[in-house]
Amino acid sequence: MTAAFPFGFPPSTAFYLVLLVATLLVHMVFMHYVLAGSAYLAVGRLAGRSRCERCGWQRVLVDWLPFATGLAITAGVAPLLFMQILYQREFYTANLLLSHRWMAILPVLIVAFYLLYLQKSAWIARRAWGWRIAVAAASFLGFAFIAWSWTENHLLSLDEAAWGPLYGSGELRYSTPGLLPRLAGWFLAAFPTLAIELYWQGRLLGVPLDRPPAAEDIVAGLSPLRRLALTALAGLAGFVIAAAWYWPTLGPAPRSAVVGPLGLPWGLAAAAGLAVQACCWLAAAVRDRMPTALAVLATAGWLMGLAGLIVLREAIRLATVDLDVLAEAHAEAAGIGGLPVFLLFAGLNAAAIVWCIRTVRTALESGAKSS
Amino acid sequence: MTPLEHYPVVDLGPLMKGLVIGGLGIFHVFLAQFAIGGGMLLCYLQWLHMRGACTLARRFIDDYFKVLVLVSFVLGAVTGVAMWFTSIQVSPRTIGVMVREFHWVWGTEWTFFCLEVVAGYLFYRYGPRLADAARLRLLVLYAFGSWMSLFWINGILSWQLTPGSWIESREVWEGFFNPGFLPSLLFRTICAAAIASLAACVLINVVPGFTRSERESLVAICGRPLVLMLGMPLVGAWYFGSMPADSRGWATGGSVPMTMFLTMAVGSSMLIGLYAVLGILRQRLYVNGATAGLLLSLAFVATAGGEFVREGVRKPFTIREYLYSNSVARDGIAELRERGVTADDPYPLRDEAAYPSEQLVLGGKVFRAQCSVCHTLGGVNSVIELTGTWSLEQKRLNIAQLQKTKPFMPPFAGTPEELEALVQLIGWIDAGRPAAWEESHDPLVLAEIRRWIDAAGTRPGRASLAGLPGGEPPR
Repeated sequence: MTAAFPFGFPPSTAFYLVLLVATLLVHMVFMHYVLAGSAYLAVGRLAGRSRCERCGWQRVLVDWLPFATGLAITAGVAPLLFMQILYQREFYTANLLLSHRWMAILPVLIVAFYLLYLQKSAWIARRAWGWRIAVAAASFLGFAFIAWSWTENHLLSLDEAAWGPLYGSGELRYSTPGLLPRLAGWFLAAFPTLAIELYWQGRLLGVPLDRPPAAEDIVAGLSPLRRLALTALAGLAGFVIAAAWYWPTLGPAPRSAVVGPLGLPWGLAAAAGLAVQACCWLAAAVRDRMPTALAVLATAGWLMGLAGLIVLREAIRLATVDLDVLAEAHAEAAGIGGLPVFLLFAGLNAAAIVWCIRTVRTALESGAKSS
Repeated sequence: MTPLEHYPVVDLGPLMKGLVIGGLGIFHVFLAQFAIGGGMLLCYLQWLHMRGACTLARRFIDDYFKVLVLVSFVLGAVTGVAMWFTSIQVSPRTIGVMVREFHWVWGTEWTFFCLEVVAGYLFYRYGPRLADAARLRLLVLYAFGSWMSLFWINGILSWQLTPGSWIESREVWEGFFNPGFLPSLLFRTICAAAIASLAACVLINVVPGFTRSERESLVAICGRPLVLMLGMPLVGAWYFGSMPADSRGWATGGSVPMTMFLTMAVGSSMLIGLYAVLGILRQRLYVNGATAGLLLSLAFVATAGGEFVREGVRKPFTIREYLYSNSVARDGIAELRERGVTADDPYPLRDEAAYPSEQLVLGGKVFRAQCSVCHTLGGVNSVIELTGTWSLEQKRLNIAQLQKTKPFMPPFAGTPEELEALVQLIGWIDAGRPAAWEESHDPLVLAEIRRWIDAAGTRPGRASLAGLPGGEPPR
């Protein structure tokens, strides 16, 4: 680990690591939307019916969260696959040690997912406002439970010394000082993602975020854009605090990996990305408008920050596993055929997906023109 | 390949692990086939609508698709992930080998799953506002994506039972296009079409707003794909014929539960097929909600029976000729008989203090490593019950020659000391777990066990498996 990620590893290890990081990034794009979006809704619902009905972001979230959850699950399959190639023993062991507690994420995910659909239904529209608060809160708690379980599973997979004693104790819960700060960090990092995604979604839906807001769009003294800026800035600030809380819980090897050649360039990229985002959102909040150029800059900062954080996550993990043993397994996996077929169909299906979206857009636009 | 990889073994109490994965698998397969068949049925309906052959189709498609999204995109997708996680809980090594050998196939399947989700959700969201041609294109892509998911997964699942020449070559495509691939794919496609048709018949009766005559017309149209069930006996026989002889033997009398489940699957399918062909298609009977629900339930029973048989007939392997059901490598038996199955096990027993002797602790570890994937100590398929009438000597002999005692069992993979420890554990639990239990280390007994183990050999029990590559020559 004497070179920046992903260099310095055997080729097959580096190959699968890049695939893991890239696919995890795509998964995070949707997963952050779901986690932060459901939290935004749960908290927003407490403001009461009239404010909620005037808040365009809550309407957007209610409408799109089910689809985003579907995409998050779908996009999550790919990193799960590559993780099983890269860290099979570690991942499987953590799964098995947490056992039923871990498996509980599946029924919880089903319930949380259906509750998102319920929030869109006519049934709940006819109910008292308290129902909406309860359903939004329950859905968010479901996703929060899944986030906690993943964090717990991940940290346990890194702590080989704990495996035997934990199994012997029969406990199905793993607790470590790093758990809460790490969970808090990833949870809070989801809000800047939500803000940037809602911004672009708002633009696509025709919300005028690149110019000053109309008076009727201001709810509780905040324009739609300022609500996004506040969401992003609170998330960023919270993330920095959580990261500072998490750092002392790391052992010497993971810390060296983060500040050493492996992680430092990515750590700097992440810090720069966070700073760029913060500046962009501050500027947008002050001017109460976010022109396209500023939004593109914020998006680039967000992407750089998220990519950097995901690589740091891997750097910490790589510092705790026996790479010599793993590299052998990676080389064996890389020698197995099928990659050209995967690449072929990945390209064709990506094209088909784009074609689907274009077909719908064209059809809707021509329908709108004719009407 | 190492003979055994030690993972912490999950204890499901009185539940047999096979029941858990089997139950979930049946549920997931049923949902997945509903989604696949649903896509094909909706394409057909949309095509009929565009030809002017079914004026009700467009409205029904939108209703059906809402159900498809709510059921398939939530329950189907999550149970798919659940299958992965449950497989890890039950047999991490098996799923680990499957992932390693077919990760690009799985990746390819995932790209089709992405297409299915995006095309499906676009249709769900915008379908009612789209012109017919655009609707048909989306539906075709959705149906194609979902069927291709089946195509890829089917190759991996059928490889488990009929790995074909992969065993020698280790070539991914030789494993994927294995002898069971095509018949299994065709069989599942017919099942998917039938399930979707029956689900449509239920929905036609549940959705408000259709008159009786409109329902009759829709049932007659949605029932048409059921005609494919006429091909089921032929494709089923082909599929069954592609299985190894010993696997077929389990389902045709060799194992009573397997035979019963096969009968259940065949019987239920036959009833549905007869009703579909004679009632719905020939006499154009109206199928009300109750009847449609009953037929769909029968389809679930048929799926359950079929999946149980498909999983069961792989015994004593999870990956035929490669990995035994207890995750011991086929070629690792001899090594474990020398080294011991528990030698490298880093995990203690969870209730170690409750065992009155070291030998019983060892027995507990042997049970955990070799037996617990299919058996319990006091619940479903309990070894205590199964061996309850055996004498001490019978236990030693029958376990030492396990693959000959019961040919769907793998050979015992441990030292005589480990076998004796397991026998003592069974005796101790059968005796009500007394506080004191004398250890048994008689050299004569251990020598006898060694002789029995050696006599049984390291090959699987059935004669048809005895001459497999890597095994000892048949005696």
